Amino acid sequence: MSASRPYVPRFGEKAPTLPAMRRNRRAELKIWWREIDRPLLVMILLLMAIGNVAVAAASPASARRLSTSAEHLPDLYFWTTHLRWQFLGIVTMLGASMLPRDLARRAGIVLGLSMMGALLLVPFIGHEVNGARRWLNLGFTFQPSEFLKPAFAITLAWILSWRVRDPNLPVIPMTAGIMGLTGILLMAQPDFGSTILFAGVWFVMVLLAGIPVQRIAIMGAAGAVMIGATYLFYDNARHRIDSFLGGGEAFDQVDLASRTLLAGGWTGSGLWLGIRKLSLPEAHTDYIFSVIGEEFGLLVCALVVMLYLAIIVRVLVRLVGEEELFAILAATGLAAQFGGQAFINILVNLQLFPSKGMTLPLVSYGGSSTIALCLTIGFLLAITRRNPYLTRDRFNFRAALGLGPRKSAARQVGRVASKEQAR
Amino acid sequence: MTAITVSTAFSSGRVQLVNVRQLSLLTARLRVLWVAGVFTLVALAALARIAVLGLVEQAPRPQSMSEALLPPRGEITDRNGVPLARAFPAYALWFNPEALGDGGSALVRSPGEVAAELAKIFPDMDRTRLAARLKSGKPGYLRRRLLPEEANRVQAIGELALEIPRENDRYYPQGSMAAHVLGYVGSDGVGRVGMEAVLDKQLRDPALRGQPASLSIDVRVQGALEDELRQGMLATDAVGSAGIVLDVDSGEVLALASLPEFNPNQIDAKGASMMFNRMTNQVYELGSTFKPLTIASAIDAGVVTDLSRRYPSGAPLHIGGFLIRDSHNLGPSLNVPEALIHSSNIVTAQVADLLGAKALRQTMVDLGMNERPYIELPARGFPIWAKGEWPRLRAMTVSYGHGIAVTPLHLASAYATLVNGGIWRPATLHKLAPGQAPRGRRVFKSSTSSRMRQLLRMIAVYGTGRSANAPGFRVGGKTGSAEKPGHGGYNRSSVVATFAAVFPMDRPRYVVLVMLDEPKGTAASSYQRTAAWNAAPIVGKLVPRIGPMLGIQPDETRDIDLSDLKPLVAGDKE
Repeated sequence: MSASRPYVPRFGEKAPTLPAMRRNRRAELKIWWREIDRPLLVMILLLMAIGNVAVAAASPASARRLSTSAEHLPDLYFWTTHLRWQFLGIVTMLGASMLPRDLARRAGIVLGLSMMGALLLVPFIGHEVNGARRWLNLGFTFQPSEFLKPAFAITLAWILSWRVRDPNLPVIPMTAGIMGLTGILLMAQPDFGSTILFAGVWFVMVLLAGIPVQRIAIMGAAGAVMIGATYLFYDNARHRIDSFLGGGEAFDQVDLASRTLLAGGWTGSGLWLGIRKLSLPEAHTDYIFSVIGEEFGLLVCALVVMLYLAIIVRVLVRLVGEEELFAILAATGLAAQFGGQAFINILVNLQLFPSKGMTLPLVSYGGSSTIALCLTIGFLLAITRRNPYLTRDRFNFRAALGLGPRKSAARQVGRVASKEQAR
Repeated sequence: MTAITVSTAFSSGRVQLVNVRQLSLLTARLRVLWVAGVFTLVALAALARIAVLGLVEQAPRPQSMSEALLPPRGEITDRNGVPLARAFPAYALWFNPEALGDGGSALVRSPGEVAAELAKIFPDMDRTRLAARLKSGKPGYLRRRLLPEEANRVQAIGELALEIPRENDRYYPQGSMAAHVLGYVGSDGVGRVGMEAVLDKQLRDPALRGQPASLSIDVRVQGALEDELRQGMLATDAVGSAGIVLDVDSGEVLALASLPEFNPNQIDAKGASMMFNRMTNQVYELGSTFKPLTIASAIDAGVVTDLSRRYPSGAPLHIGGFLIRDSHNLGPSLNVPEALIHSSNIVTAQVADLLGAKALRQTMVDLGMNERPYIELPARGFPIWAKGEWPRLRAMTVSYGHGIAVTPLHLASAYATLVNGGIWRPATLHKLAPGQAPRGRRVFKSSTSSRMRQLLRMIAVYGTGRSANAPGFRVGGKTGSAEKPGHGGYNRSSVVATFAAVFPMDRPRYVVLVMLDEPKGTAASSYQRTAAWNAAPIVGKLVPRIGPMLGIQPDETRDIDLSDLKPLVAGDKE
């Protein structure tokens, strides 16, 4: 009788410890290698390799542009710097991916809290560049919103998964509150692009957490109102949206980017042979996709798009077989963060989206952003780790669509209950 | 007991939780697929956009400084470097009502004032229509070509809406001269019709377009040919005419004309209707000009060994219900030289009959009469060529140029073969360096060719070609006046008059072929329609004009030796 009773935590009683295997570092590495999503890791490293070459291609353009009479930047300045960041990034990524899921969650939550705190400080002691106050200078300069990105998805997933423990917790309004606070802090910088991205990630996670469809419609309307308000009250966004809708002037950023993108034709001009990139502002960050287009051709651009899609689809399709709600939510949030940023950047370069000032993840040059994105991927790898020797429930598509078998599942649960009651 | 109660209460809570967990997992798993679907759609949109950009959008063309110094399209020159087609960066006048960019009126001043200013610069433009045009606010060309000083004056009006874009235009400094050889460049920058189409790739290639493309054409000869053809055509009221001057030894075309012509500087519907090339694209039954080919084939085959042998010519020939007759009765009998001089169908048909259909057909095949003519131009007509073995009658009609229709260019190449020692070579419009002439293929023996030179010269001296016999130029040639096939047989009133000539006959250099399409009997041709009266005189006037240009001076003291053949026709003349 008592053996069948589950463990109920109560004061003074400890959970029975399971017999654990003795682990050493070598065994842990072996387990890590067995459990990690290796195709995902390969695709990420491939993307970073592409990014490395692309930054090398774009580096002379930006180095010449940013050189002053006082300080001359060597042509490959950004590339050599980027190499350092990529190395640090890969170390961060592999380190994060070795965390067990629980530890990854805790790390994410702690990071999220501290970055929210940092974000609160930004309006007061922030460091201003180009009219935007986004950076904190604590001996080294970093952008809290970049590091908030991976932590945000994990924190929200943690909160949303409480619902499994207690269905009556108002988890969605809680996350909405966090989202609202983040949004206000980001718009204070101002950083419209990141706000959109965070809102998008929040929306995806809330969607997964089971928000009813009519509420999605209401949120859509609210989003439209928010964007409308931004358009009215935030000059930079208005200008960008205006220039997107109106076609812009002859030589604005978007137009320069499109000229650069098309200059190489299908096969490109070859590494360091592009000419148009030299007149492109932000060649190594926001418009690196266009530089890839000029030097390596539209075919390689299409390849990059497909690589991003493959990464996202790989993560998401694997999640369908996942059994823990937190893992599904967190991994989807991280993937949406990564993919959303990638596709916003690509669509801006392809003139399908108003200019946002967002980097191409893992390809663009960047310090904070490279490390933060590597951390995102590291968390993603940690959360999607799975023991290949365990079999899992197969995804019941009909049940998910609310067809027949869902009832039978409920009935089955009911039967178990009645059995237990009979006992 | 109590343990059971606790257990029950607890487990029902757990049941509910399990249910919630199951449901939220199901929802989350399904909606993960939604998210994946949305990302897939976005990625597909991006890929589609890349495809559209790559296929449709005009990529900015990479341009280097050295390329910018090259003409946008290579020049075409004649064999002496005289420009025939040049790249001409021109200004156009474009009305852009959006230029001010404030959504208001397109012009700063009133349309009437601006129109008045423009009319001052371009007196030929209508002021009121221009004002209406400016008022309508529709973008478009106001004028296609501006001189630089005119462009400056338009700039000085100070209206942003009047734009002066630089456009690459093709300019043909010789006007309509050699239009069918050159062709033109369409508004899309692609060459059409003539060598502009043939050389399109080369003229646009940055590596090659710095060098002008030299044609075999000589502008002076071309001008003389077109001039004489036009005069002859107008004098005889012909619907069209064509002419060619061909180097017999290399196959180079020194002049090629088809009238009426078009002006490649100004392509309109009328011009487009004139683009048909009668010299290379239209096939005709060229009539008696084929007789020398038949005779040459017979001499070559050893069928005609005795030029004094006489053939009956008193009565028309009845062959399988078909009647072969001459234009008028040429007497009871003729020998071969006489038959050529007087152009006897009856005798030529008999010679062809002796030769046999197979041998004559083979000669025609060797002369390339069964395929499109050899020249670079895209417009080349396919001959009307009887397939398979020829019956006896077919050979007899072909012998005097009926039952086979070829382009005049075919005939010109055949005449070159006839006199150059018997080697057939393709005609070309490219300038050939000395020694670059193709090897060609032997059709006639060298001895046959020598004999044919004498016979052709005799036609011009004693026969139907007398009016082509320009003094001192040793012209030889054969007339041909073929009735055009019409409804239900040949149409006696519409003919194709051809004169195929070669000069100088003692050392043949050039074939000159002139053809008139449907000449009428006018005072200029003594109310005659045959080639002796209209086509031959054109050659007679043309040869003295082009001979000196081509290095052939008139020399009365030189001529081909006709003394061995003269007695055979001495009864007729002199």
